Amino acid sequence: MSQFVENPAHLSKFRLKSDLVAHDVALPPSKSKKEVYVGLHLQHIGQKNAVDFSSDEEDQVQDVSDKEEDTEMPDPSGLTDDDLKAALLELGVKAGPIVASTRALYEKKLRKLLQSNGHGCLNGVEKGVLYSDSEEEEENGEEEDKELGSEGEKEETVKQSDQAQQGSSQMESRRSLSTSSDTEIELNGSNVQKHWSRSNRLDMPIVDTMKNQSLYYTPKASPYKWKMKLTQEPVKDTFKDMFPNTDATTTGIYATRRRPIKGAAGRPVQYAYPDTPVSPTTLEKREVERRLVPIQIQILVFLIVMCLLYLIYVCVEDNSFGPSVALLDSLYQGSDSEEGLLLQAETQDVPALSGQE
Amino acid sequence: MSSTSQKHRDFVAEPMGEKPVMALAGIGEVLGKRLEEKGFDKAYVVLGQFLVLKKDEELFRDWLKDTCGANVKQQGDCYGCLKEWCDAFL
Repeated sequence: MSQFVENPAHLSKFRLKSDLVAHDVALPPSKSKKEVYVGLHLQHIGQKNAVDFSSDEEDQVQDVSDKEEDTEMPDPSGLTDDDLKAALLELGVKAGPIVASTRALYEKKLRKLLQSNGHGCLNGVEKGVLYSDSEEEEENGEEEDKELGSEGEKEETVKQSDQAQQGSSQMESRRSLSTSSDTEIELNGSNVQKHWSRSNRLDMPIVDTMKNQSLYYTPKASPYKWKMKLTQEPVKDTFKDMFPNTDATTTGIYATRRRPIKGAAGRPVQYAYPDTPVSPTTLEKREVERRLVPIQIQILVFLIVMCLLYLIYVCVEDNSFGPSVALLDSLYQGSDSEEGLLLQAETQDVPALSGQE
Repeated sequence: MSSTSQKHRDFVAEPMGEKPVMALAGIGEVLGKRLEEKGFDKAYVVLGQFLVLKKDEELFRDWLKDTCGANVKQQGDCYGCLKEWCDAFL
C-alpha cells in the first residue's frame, strides 16, 4: 500500500485533484494553490509512513473535525468572486452579481451560513439520515445507528461493549453494504453534510475493525431512534402484531380501511356533529323573523301615511276650495285615530273622485 | 389595506425620475444624508443597488443597515417602497 502513496508534494496538482476525487474528498476551490491540495491529500489519504492506522486514527479523527471548515471553505474574503458565488450556490443560495457594493454582503452571508452549518450540520446529518434510513435494512439498523451516532456528535463517547462484541463480527461483513447505502443517503442531503460525513466515514472502518469497544458514539438526539431500533431487534414485525388479521401481501404494503365520511355517498350519518356555529346573517334573519309582526304594523302605518299624502295632493289639485277646506278640516280632526282617519279618507275620497269626474 | 405612508404612496405613484434619495419611504433627512455621502444621491442609485441585489429583501435590508444605519422599520419601508415601484414600473 505504501508503494502507491507517494509523497504528495511530488505529485502534480492534477494528480492530487484526481486522488482526492477518488477518495471522495471535497475539492477546494479551483484556484487554490497546490499546497491546499497537498494538505488535503495528506489529511485524507494518509502519509507514506502511516502503515499502522490504529496509532493515527485518533489524530486523524480529530484532524478531520478540526480542519473541517478549512477544507470546506476557506475564509470568504480570500475567495474570488466566482468562488464566492460557487460557495454560496453550494449552500443553496442563488447569489446575484458579486460587485464591489454587493461583495461584502455576500461574504457576510457566507460566513453566517458556514457558522450555522458547522453547528447545525451535526444534527442535520443525523436527521437527514434518520428519516431516510428508517425504511431501509432493519438488520443493518444496529450498525447504521452507530455510524450515524459517530457522524452525529463526536464529543460524546459511550462504551457499548456489549453491543459491540455481538455486532463486531457481523459488522465487517455488512460494512460495505451499509457504507454504500449511507453514501446514497448522504447524496440526498446537502453537499456540506456529504463532505463532512464522508470524511468521517473513512475513519469508521478503521475504528471498527481495529477496536471492539469504546469508540461507539451515541448522540443525545438519537436515543429515541436507538430505542426504536433496539425494540425492532426482538420484535421483527410490529405491524403484524398490531394487525394480526391482515394477510401478508407480496409487496409488503399494508393498507387499512379508513372510517367512511359522514353522510357521503349514501352512507348513513354515524354520529351527529354538534350544532354548527351560526353565521351573523342567519342570526339577523332570525331577528327579523321575530319582529315580523311589528314590521307588518310599520308597513300598514306607511300605507296610511301615503294615502294621507295622496289625499292632500288631491285636495290641493281641486279648484274649488270649499270642499277642499272641509276635507282638510276633516283630515286634521281625524288625525287622532288611524282607523277613523282611514274611514274618513275613504268616504271623502269617493266624493272627491266623483266630483272630479 | 396595509398601512403605507403618504410618502410611500407618493413615490409609487409615478416614475421616480430625478427624485432625491430622501423621497424614498423610510429615508428621512439623516439617513438621506448618510446615503448621499456614500454616493447614493438619487433614488435611482438606490434602486440600482436594490436591483443588483436581485430584489432580495434580506440582502437589501442588510445593505441599508450597513450603509446608513436604518432600523428595522425604515428598512422595511424602503424595501416595500422600492418593491412596489418596481412592480408598477419596471
